[in-house]
Amino acid sequence: MKPALTRDAATGWVRPPMSDQVDTGDDRRLLARAQDGEIAAFEALVEAHQDKVYGLALRMTRSEADAAEITQDTFLSAYQHLKDFRGEAAFGSWVHRIAANHALMRLRHRRVAQAAESELQGPEFTERGTLADYPLSDWGQNAEEKALDAELGVAIQQATDRLPEGYREVFLLKDVDGLSYEQISEATGDSIPAIKSRLHRARLALREAIEQFYQPG
Amino acid sequence: MYTCKDSINLLLEYLDGEMTPEEARHLKEHFAGCRPCEEFLSTYRATSGMCKRALAQRIPQEVSAKLTEFLRSKIKPAS
Ligand SMILES: [Zn+2]
Repeated sequence: MKPALTRDAATGWVRPPMSDQVDTGDDRRLLARAQDGEIAAFEALVEAHQDKVYGLALRMTRSEADAAEITQDTFLSAYQHLKDFRGEAAFGSWVHRIAANHALMRLRHRRVAQAAESELQGPEFTERGTLADYPLSDWGQNAEEKALDAELGVAIQQATDRLPEGYREVFLLKDVDGLSYEQISEATGDSIPAIKSRLHRARLALREAIEQFYQPG
Repeated sequence: MYTCKDSINLLLEYLDGEMTPEEARHLKEHFAGCRPCEEFLSTYRATSGMCKRALAQRIPQEVSAKLTEFLRSKIKPAS
């Protein structure tokens, strides 16, 4: 069942519910009309993808002002290159890549206090390579069906913020925003093996943070 | 025989389906005989989805309204 549409008070437009399953068939039809110069069709595409583009930009830059500007720049450059877009990829993944590039550009121009790699948490092993401690509760079971505890949500946000920059970026782009290794490699200039290694360590650190939430101390 | 450490080092490749059948078999053997690693795999696998939900964002309405205004000012009808 589809959730009800809500009317956006500010724009008077009907906001579709945020969803992972953007209807790519709809997107394709809208895109064809937008490429023919129909501005309303382009605006409908913006409407459908603005939450995800803004979310990507906000997570990456952690600045609401930057996120708002990146969202504007992303959709403007999408519009300007609309004719070049051939539609092999989904419109959504195309604008995600544009947004990622804009966000990374801003981050590269900004000096951020780097967390040291040594601060990355992960599982501990005995000398023989055996797990030293292990989950007392298997919180991974049916995790998708359970509501996310609000306190756990905050713990995850804080743990993500503590990741060293290169690890945080890769984790967000791959696991949260769904870019491919190839797309991330293209955007960051890093090799795919390096990206995978950082992604793995970021996941281990975040897994550890969730683990600590379930069994503190 | 893989140790826990070996197995956990390979989780990303395993979940991406990018292992040789040989490696995958060794790994499955380890998981089958190691409860801690089996649960580790389950929690590792769940981590990304939980983070994705914790980090979800919606564009604020005023930012959305400004975006519309911005794009309309930049995009002129073709005619
Ligand atoms: Zn094990």
